[in-house]
Formats: sequence, structure tokens, C-alpha cells
Amino acid sequence: MIALTEKAIEALAALRWVFDPEIGLNVVDMGLIYELSVEEDAKKILVLMTLSTQYCPMGQSIVDSVKNRLELSYPGYEIEITVTFEPTWSMEMISAEGQEFLNR
Amino acid sequence: MSDVVYTTTHRVVVPFYVYAGLAFLVATGMLFTGAAEFSGHYFQPHILAITHTMALGWGTMIILGASHQLLPVLMEGELYSVKLAYLSYTFTGIGIALLVWAFYIFHMGWPAKCGALLINAGVIAFFVNVVMSIVKSKKENIQAIFMLTAAGWLAFTTLAGGLLICNFTENILPDGSLHYLSLHAHIGIVGWFLLLVMGVGSRLIPMFLISKYDSPKILWSIYGLINGGLITFIFIFLREAVSVLYMIPVLCVTGGIVLFGFFCRKAYRQRIRRQVDEEMKISLLAVVMMVLPLVFLIAVIVTLMTISADVHMVLAYGFTIFFGWLTAIILGMTFKTLPFIIWNRVYHARAGTGATPVPKELFSSRLFNIMAVCFIIGFISFVAGIVISNGIAMKVGALLLLLCAFLYNANVFKLLFHKDRML
Repeated sequence: MIALTEKAIEALAALRWVFDPEIGLNVVDMGLIYELSVEEDAKKILVLMTLSTQYCPMGQSIVDSVKNRLELSYPGYEIEITVTFEPTWSMEMISAEGQEFLNR
Repeated sequence: MSDVVYTTTHRVVVPFYVYAGLAFLVATGMLFTGAAEFSGHYFQPHILAITHTMALGWGTMIILGASHQLLPVLMEGELYSVKLAYLSYTFTGIGIALLVWAFYIFHMGWPAKCGALLINAGVIAFFVNVVMSIVKSKKENIQAIFMLTAAGWLAFTTLAGGLLICNFTENILPDGSLHYLSLHAHIGIVGWFLLLVMGVGSRLIPMFLISKYDSPKILWSIYGLINGGLITFIFIFLREAVSVLYMIPVLCVTGGIVLFGFFCRKAYRQRIRRQVDEEMKISLLAVVMMVLPLVFLIAVIVTLMTISADVHMVLAYGFTIFFGWLTAIILGMTFKTLPFIIWNRVYHARAGTGATPVPKELFSSRLFNIMAVCFIIGFISFVAGIVISNGIAMKVGALLLLLCAFLYNANVFKLLFHKDRML
């Protein structure tokens, strides 16, 4: 469930530049971002995200990519990322655009 | 933010891949120069050298490398010891070179003995690393149990191999080394290669197909069938029972392979991405190719019940394992795993900050496709050559497999020397 504040939408747009290297789909359309909130006063961005599989050897890279991208887009902000496997990611979490991409 | 996935440094893993690739090239080179020897008996110096280059230099080294990478991921913990991994590489690497040279010139004295000793030391280092990593880890995992059991069988295989080497000169066993060859070979083939490939494959195949399919029940059944079959085989062999009884372990292992094929088919059907890349296609072909050695094995047992084992069928059986499904799955999985390792090395620190190539773009797909075609045609040609005793078919097959090994190495080195192409 993504918190759809204006700032969060902007941050999500930035995360559309972060791709799962195996699938080639961005992490937002993959449905890997569960929550995202931007605390402007505290200059902090909180991300709750998952990975398509707990065993993905690229998992750390994907998480680091999310952090790097947000640091680039929001200089001076503290980025806090929490990875959860509850609920487990499933293909139903992929966006309609993502489904279309995968069915090509 | 804590680490979500534990990885082993590429410095540990990559040398195993390099060694394996070069061993594959050496083995196919020997196959090309010695193709004619596949018309005779399998117990010949050059055939022993080729078999051990394939089994140890190619198959085992790449699996050891991949296991060091995969074990922390499976166990959600760090590899117990990087030093043990380096020791494993050094001992096994030097030992294999010595052993293969000893077989090639058939010097069963110090080169073979030192080689066997070093390989055993390397395998023990690996086994200890696997055991301790599992003991230290946070959770249990069926794939890790497959890996642990397979590592145990590997230690058993290399110990038996060492005894067979000593038996050439010291007569420490009741019978000659040739008598125990099938015991040594099958513990390695079934206990090490088949069990480990199935265990690791049951994690990697769904992961790379982007499939959510999993079935611990099926995997436990496979585990029981493969280990049960192997233990039954050892028992029948040591009791010197009648040949027909060998059908029991054959049926068990066949059951395990069929179940694994069923598991892969389910994973394939439940995949999220419709497109399946060439690397996955050849890996899935490897699963189908697992049936081929069984056909030759049954032919061997049938001839064994009537007259004596047909040496052509025995050669075809061994060939369809080492140059067949084992090579096919390595060819496919190398280009699914190594690009990620190299991508992580080159781009990890700056990932997400700009346009980076995807791992698949770090090697040449064109070279891969040509390699795959050379492999399939070369394999079919060589097997046909063994079965119909046709030297030309074997020579053509060996040449294509040599070309396949050359292209494989070219692509691996292209990956290894990849420079940052971040935009």
C-alpha cells in the first residue's frame, strides 16, 4: 500500500529509474515498493519494500539502487529503507504496465 | 538498513569459473586429439584423463564456485570462511592438474597420489565450510540439505578415488581398481552431481524463470529417491548381487529425475515472464537430457545380464553425463550467474544513479547462441559416433565441442574484462 502524497508520488517517479536487472522492469511497476513517505520537515524519506524472492543474489543491489536513486534525487535527505517479506511479493502486485511489459 | 542478502566476494567465486572454463577447453582438446580411443575400452589413460578433467576440472570446480556464492543466499548468513574457500580452490585446482596429467601419462606413482591427496584436502575444506555455514546460519532450508548431502557424497567419492589410486601400486583393496570403478563413478555422478544440480536447480530455475512455484514435498521425495537409490546401489555392489537387482537403484534415480522434470515443468508453466531467454532454454534442455544416460544405463544392465557389459554403451553412458546434461546446465547457468557477479562488482556502488547495462548485456548473446548450436550438434554427433563406432562422426563432434568450449571461454573472458559503461 503506497502513501500517495504529492511528494511520495514524486519520489516514486524517481524510483521508476531503478530496475530489477534480471527482469528489466522498474521496481515501482514490479510492486516492490510497499510504502513510501517523505517527511519534509525532518528531511527524511522512509521506504518499506520487498524483493521478488528472498533468495535473489541481486537483492542487496536492488535495495542499494533504491537508496542511491533517492539520495541523488533528494540531496540532503536521510533515506531509510526497510525490507520486509510480509506480505510475500506475488505477481498480482505487478502494475498493469508491468504485466504488459512481461507479456511481450 | 541491514543487509538483505549475503553474498560472497567475487574474488572467491570467479577463479573457480575461470579454472572450470579452461578445464572444459583442455578436456575438449583432449577429446579432439583422442576421439579414436572412444572406439575401444573405457579404461584407458586418455579417457580417464578426459573424464576426470570434465568431472573435476569442469563440473566440480564450477559447482564449488557457484556453491560458495549460493550458500550464503540460501542460508541467509555469511560463508563460514573465505580462507577455507581459497584453500579449497588452491588444493583442488593443483590436485586436479596433477591427477589429470598422471592419468594422461598413466603414472600412478607420486603425481596421481599427490593429486588425489590435494583433491581430498580441497574437498574437505569445502565440506567443512558447508557444514559450518549451515551450523552458523539462521534457518533451515531444503536446498542447503541437498548441498550438504552432496558435499558429503563428494568427500566419499574423492576418498574412494584416492584409495583406488593407491590400490594401483599397493594392493590395499581385495580386488583391482577397475572392479571398483563403477562404485566410485556412481557415488560421484549421483551423489554429488545429480543431487547438487537438482538441489541448486530447484532454487535457481524458478528464480530465473521468475516463477513463484515451490514444492518442498516434491523436493523431499527427490532427495529420498536419489539418496535411497544410491545407497541401494552401494549395498548391491558390495554384496555382489545379481545384475537384475541394479534395476532397483535405476528405478529410484529415474523416479527422482522424473519428479525433478515435473518440478521444472510446473515452475516453467507458472513463470511470470512469458519470454524465456536462451540461457534458460539450454538449462531446461539439460533437465530433459538427464533421461539420456538412463537409456544407456538400462542397455548396459540388460547386456550385463546376458553376456558382459557393452563397452560402447558404457562409453555412451559416461559421455551423455559429462558432455551431456552436466555440460548443458553449466553452459546455461554460467551466463545466468556470472553476469550478475560481474555486474555487482562493476556497478553495485553506483546502481540506480544512472543508466547501467543489464547483466545480460555484459556478454555476447550471439557468441552464446553459436556456442549452444556447436554444443548440441557436437554432442549428438559424438554420441552417434560412439554408438555406431564411426570415427568421422566422433571427430566432427569433438571439433564442434572444442569450438563450443572456445566460444564459452571467449564469452567468460569478455565478461571478466568488462569495463564500466555507465551512461
